[in-house]
Formats: sequence, C-alpha cells, structure tokens
Amino acid sequence: MKPFIEKCAEKGFLFSAILSASITILILSFMIFFSFPIFKGGDIAAFFTLGWNPYEGKFGILPMMAGTGIIASLALFIATPFGIGCSALISVFSKGSSGRFLRKVVEFMTGIPTVIYGFVAIFLLVPFIREIFEKGTGMCVLSASIMLALLILPTIVLFLSDAFNSVPRSYIDAADSLGATPAQKLVYVIIPYAWKGIISGLVLAAGRAVGDTLIALMIAGNALQIPTGLDDAARTLTSHIALIIASDYESPEFKSIFLCGLILFTFTTLIVLIMRSLGYFKILGKR
Amino acid sequence: MNRFIQYSITFFAWISGIILIGAIGVLLIFLLFKGVSSLNSFLIFGETRPLDALLFRKDVLDGLFPAIIGTILLITASIVWAIPIGVASGIYLAEYCNLRWKPFFSFMLDLLAGIPSILVGLFGFTLSIFLHRHLSEHIYPCFLISSMALACLVLPYIIRTTEQALVNLPFSVKTTGLALGASRLQNILFILIPYNLSRIISGIILAIGRCAEDTAVIMLTGVVAMAGIPHSLLAKYEALPFYIFYISSDYNSQEELMKGFGACIILLAVCAVFFTLANILKRKAEIRFATRT
Amino acid sequence: MEFKQKALLIGIAVLLLLGNSFSFAVAGDLDRFDGVKGTLRISGGTAHIPVMKEAAKRIMALNRDVKITIAGGGSGVGIKQVGEGLVDIGNSGRMATDDEIQRYGLKMHKFAIDGIAVVVNPRNPIVKMKKSQIIDIFSGKINNWKALGFKDRGINVYTRDASSGTRKVFWKKALNKGEITKSANFVKSHGAMKSAINVDPYGIGYISIGFLDDTVSSVSLDGIAPTLEKVRKGDYKIARGLYMNTKGEPVGLARLFIDYIMSKEGQKIVAENGYIAVK
Repeated sequence: MKPFIEKCAEKGFLFSAILSASITILILSFMIFFSFPIFKGGDIAAFFTLGWNPYEGKFGILPMMAGTGIIASLALFIATPFGIGCSALISVFSKGSSGRFLRKVVEFMTGIPTVIYGFVAIFLLVPFIREIFEKGTGMCVLSASIMLALLILPTIVLFLSDAFNSVPRSYIDAADSLGATPAQKLVYVIIPYAWKGIISGLVLAAGRAVGDTLIALMIAGNALQIPTGLDDAARTLTSHIALIIASDYESPEFKSIFLCGLILFTFTTLIVLIMRSLGYFKILGKR
Repeated sequence: MNRFIQYSITFFAWISGIILIGAIGVLLIFLLFKGVSSLNSFLIFGETRPLDALLFRKDVLDGLFPAIIGTILLITASIVWAIPIGVASGIYLAEYCNLRWKPFFSFMLDLLAGIPSILVGLFGFTLSIFLHRHLSEHIYPCFLISSMALACLVLPYIIRTTEQALVNLPFSVKTTGLALGASRLQNILFILIPYNLSRIISGIILAIGRCAEDTAVIMLTGVVAMAGIPHSLLAKYEALPFYIFYISSDYNSQEELMKGFGACIILLAVCAVFFTLANILKRKAEIRFATRT
Repeated sequence: MEFKQKALLIGIAVLLLLGNSFSFAVAGDLDRFDGVKGTLRISGGTAHIPVMKEAAKRIMALNRDVKITIAGGGSGVGIKQVGEGLVDIGNSGRMATDDEIQRYGLKMHKFAIDGIAVVVNPRNPIVKMKKSQIIDIFSGKINNWKALGFKDRGINVYTRDASSGTRKVFWKKALNKGEITKSANFVKSHGAMKSAINVDPYGIGYISIGFLDDTVSSVSLDGIAPTLEKVRKGDYKIARGLYMNTKGEPVGLARLFIDYIMSKEGQKIVAENGYIAVK
C-alpha cells in the first residue's frame, strides 16, 4: 500500500483513540461545568446536609451518599463470603464437573439483564422481606443489598477464581507433596499468594455496587432519609440522579445531580487507581 | 488446622455454590413459571395481524413489537458508532501507541469502563439539552442521542478486546508478514486482525448484549412508554428493558403485569443468545491458539 | 370463472364501502386528522397518560402518518419541557405558576377535572379518616395503624417526587402545606402509586380519582367519599384541573390534538377514564 494511505490510516487510528479518551474527559468536564455554579455560589456546604426538601429550598444530598454507602457495603458484605466460597469451590475443591458447571452458571449470570433482577425481586423478594420484618414496605436496604449482592457475585467469583488459578503450579505441587488437604492449600498457600487479586476483585465489585442504578431505584424505596435499620427505605446517588433528572434545569435540585455525578466519578477514579496500585491494569467486566 | 475447621471450610464452599445456583434457579423458574403463559402472538403483536406488523403495513399499538424493534434498531445504531471507533482505537493502542502515551489512554479507558452507566446517561441528556439550546431546536433526548450514549458505554469493551486480540498474538505471527515485505497497515489488516477475528467479534457480541440490556442510559436519553417504531433518528422510541422497568411499577392490571413477565423472558432469551454466541467464538479463538502455539 | 371473479370483486368493493362508511360513522371527531402528517410529542403529568394514550391510539389507528409519543415525568417536567420546546404539549395536573406562564408564554388548556383520593390496601378496613389524621399520618406523627384501630403495624407512607402536580395539590389542599415524613417511599406515577398500595397491606398514598378501582380502597375524609359526584358538587375539596400546556397558541398537530380532546369524542375518553369532562 502507498505510504500516503499508511499515513492516513495511522492518523485515523490515532484520531479514534483520542476521540475515545476524550469522551471520559468530556463527561468529567460536563459534570464540573454544570456543578460549577454550586461551587461558585459558596453554598457548597448546604448541599452536604441532611435535608432534601425543594419546597423549602433544602438540597442536602447527604442521605443519598449514606444510602449508596450503606447499600453498597452491605451488598459487598453479603457477597464476599459467598464469592470466596464459590471461587474456592471452582478453583480448589471441585475442579471436576460440578466446579465447571458452577463457573458456567456464574458466567451466564453476567449476561442476565439488571432490570430482570429488579423485576423478579419486586414480586419475589420484596413481599418475602416485608413479611419477615412485619414492618415497612419490603422495599428497603436489605432487599436492595441482597439483589445487589447477587448482581456483583459474578464479578467477584470470576475475578477471584482467576486469581486463585494464577498461583504457580510449583506452589500447589509442593503443598500436595507435603500431603496438604484442599482446605489447607486454600488457607496456607492460595489465599496468601492471591490476596492482591482478592482485594482487587472486591474493589472492582464495590465499584459495580456503587455504580448500579436499577436495583436501588426499583427496590430500595427511594426515601429521603439516612437509613437506620435494615428495613428502612433509602435512596442512592445513582437513583437520585434518575429521579431528579426530570426537574427544572435551572433549579438547584437539578444542579445537585451533577454534584452527585461528580462524587460518583471521583469514586470511580479512586477504584481505578486502587486497582492499578494493586497491579491490575485491565478492568473488564459489566458495570 | 484441625479437622473440624477443614471440614467447615469445604462445607462452606459447597454451600455457597449451592446457594448461588439455587438463587439463580429460583429466579429463572419464577420468571418462566409466571411468564410462559403470556408468551403468545398477542403479547408481541396485540390486535394487529403478525404479518401486517412484520411487513410494517400496520402499526402495533398494544403489543411489544415496537419495543422489540426499538431495541434491535438501538443495538444496530450503537454498534455502528462503536465498532469503527473501537476497533481503530484498539489497533492504535496495540500497534502504534508509544509507551509515553499508552498509560494515559489506558487510564482514560479504564475510567470510561468504570463510570456508572447512569453518568453516561446524564452526559447524553445534558449534551442533548446543550445542543438543543445552542445548535438546533430539533435536537432533544432521542434515538440518536441514546445510540451515541450507548456507544460510549460499550466502546471501552470493544477497544480492550481488540487491543488484547492483537497484543497477545505469538511473535511469529506478528512478524511473518513484515518479513515477507508487507507494510505495517497491510500486516494489521490482512494478517493480524483476520488471525484473531473471532476474539474481536466475541467482544463485539458481548457489547451488543450490553446494549440490549442497558436501562439506565436509555431512560435518561429519550426512551418513552409509548412511541411506536421510530421513523427518524431524532424520534423518541420504545425499548424492551425500559418497558420492563416501566411495567414493574406502572402496571394497571394483572394482564399488563403478565406482559411484563413475558417481556422479561424475551429479553432474557435475546441476551442468552448473544452471550452463547460470544462464548462459542471466544472458545474457537482459544482452541486455535492452543493448537498453534 | 369470470363470473366468480366478478362476484368476488364486487364483494370486495361492497366490503370496502361498508368498511369505509363504518369507520366514518365511528370516527366523526377524528376526521380532522385526515391527511395530516407529522409527529406530536407529549410529556408530563402521569394522571393524563390513560387519556392521552387512548386518544393517541385512536388517532394512530386511523392515520399512520401521525406519530404521537407519550412520556410521563410529572407536571413539573411537562411544563418545563414544553417551555423549553422539547415537547409540543406538556401536561400538568396543576395550574402553571405565574412565573412559569410569564417565562415561557404558556397557554393552558383545561380538559378535565380530577380529584385526589387517599388510598389504602383493600385488606385495610380503615376507610374513614379525619383530615387531621391524614396530616398526622403523612407528617409521621401517627406511625402505627393501631392508633387508627387496625393491626399493630407501622404505616408505610408513599409519596410522589417534587415534580408531581398531584403532590403539590395534595400538599396544599389535604395536608395544609404540612410536612411529609422523611421515611416516605417515593413512587414516580399514579400507576406506580396504585400498584405499590395494592401490594402493601400497610401502605397509604394518594392517587387521582381516575385511577381508582378495586385494587385499592379509597378513604373518605371527614365523612366525604372521594367520588366524581362529590368532586363535581364541590363537596370533596381536594380537586384540581388537568391541563395541556403549549408554548404560545398551539399550532398544527398540537392544535388538532387539543381540539380532539375537547371534542365530544375526546371528552368521552376523559369521562371513560374516570375524570370529569369540562364540556
């Protein structure tokens, strides 16, 4: 091919790469640009308060931050032991057909649309939770956390079982020749070796849990309070954006969702930085 | 470590596996149990004759048909945006980019891949309002904006798979063409990409699956409860996942709710097909590597 | 053969003619859409949706060149979007404020009158309350059904978001601008409110009278049941108009659509959906 075409193609590739990278920058600058009036107004502290009542001019987003934090951590808290258990089963205890079957199921889970998790939860989990607590609507922190845990489990299991599998053959052989049982191998060899992978998997899952919109929007009840119990309704930053998007574009409440966006963006950046410092550069997976 | 602890660890691993499979099983069985009875041509076509609807001779006003077509069109449009840009960026990162800039690009892409999808939706929404005010008042949240926002969402996946597909090639494959006198571009287009095409395609199909299921982005960028089949890029449209979301809270009768379950099954089936296809292609790519290297 | 074909042709012709005259007989008020082309975008109040949907269905079944898209969002959204020119008709379940009218040059078209009813689950026997009790329940002061003579279970308050016209009217006329408890659950539309109350035995919320059916039970306030009759007479005070808003005088399809809703057939749709027709 002619050098001219070569040059053009190279420029085209470069242009595409710059375009892709600039999307990130564009999103960030939109968030900053539209939340800028808040910073300039100097009343930034007013947004970090507890009250949200547009009629009274109160736009505190603290309840939403708390909602996100509580629901996501609880989901992670539920999902982590199961995740470690499942990946240990896949990579250590059952390398035969049952382990392979479990991995297939987990892989399939990544393909299930989030909205379906939410839909089924409304008609299956929510009534159940309501009857258990005998209080509240069933649309609460616990329901959302359970579904969110199910949603982030594939991320954890796939990441962790890969990390477990990355333990060098020689380590495993050495343990085997010393007569170690699978449980001993897991606790003394594999987990100490793969702890970075475990942390990374959990960090990634935390990112997914914080970033998910639909589960919390559909089954957390969206109340404007800081939840104090598992049966309390709560609103996350993401569902707050989805709920407020429809309001007056000039209003402070609309501007506040860009502040929410900025917080979420910062959190994502943090996740990526942690992953990198742990040595994981390729973050692929469903949000 | 005493026996008891060892047994409990093993036991726990098995229990968590069983619970996970049980949970997914319950979820799927519940869905099928509730929804199968509503799966019929009325669900999709309403009172319109299926043939009339399929040939676009008549509009379907009370079935899922417009939502299904909307989803298909949306996927197509987003992929048309994302494939050229994604594959080209992937090629650049794998073959051209120097080491000074690579960390910058990969950091930006990791960020884009990690941003909550609702932010991509918010970006699309704000962009359309911005364009509406400053460019043309015919622009508002619509099909075009949705497809572009979805393209942003799946772009990092396509870039990454393309990049990985090219970087991980064996040295001999990478250099043979060059040694025979092929130019850099020829080498990429005619040797490297065809060599690992199935891997790239599997990445693209996974991206299609993401487009099919996404709800957060589209509900901010122009999907509505009732619109019919979109007839222009600037029109509002319907889509399956949004229909499910809408029905989950707004159903007016048991009948409508059943339609929601039916829609769930259809969407799940669509995603399962894409997922299986992507996996078969990926496996094919892996087998090829296992035998060649 | 030839005779058969002729007979068939004539048969088809007769059928066509019959079909035509039949559709004419039904259409009447729909005639105005003959030969019209274009897109009409509607958004806003969710109480309006059933009426809008039915009207759109009839129009689009008659004329395929007309596309009507309907979105919810709430009254605030409707007013804002029509003001910004994002939609052609913005629905609201409250009057636009003077500020909104001035800023956007809005024209309001009142097409129905609606009441807002307090609703509870059908399993809940409490169907009579005092207005003061409603105020206390929604503010969170009364938070257990026991206080009203039902089971010892917490009261789950459901409310709408700030964009809702229903909320604004309810807040003003039923709650006397009183506070709504922070633990209230948020739903996005009348349909969502109804289905939420329908599945929650201990819930309480408020919906448009047009949405009332046997899946929820309505609560009478100070002895007055929320029925169309009582709203019409002016006994039931928590009522409001339903409006279609346009930016300036409506033109084109928007004009035709509004005329159609105001026509005999349109107002019949309004009545069929449980609202009070204005004409």
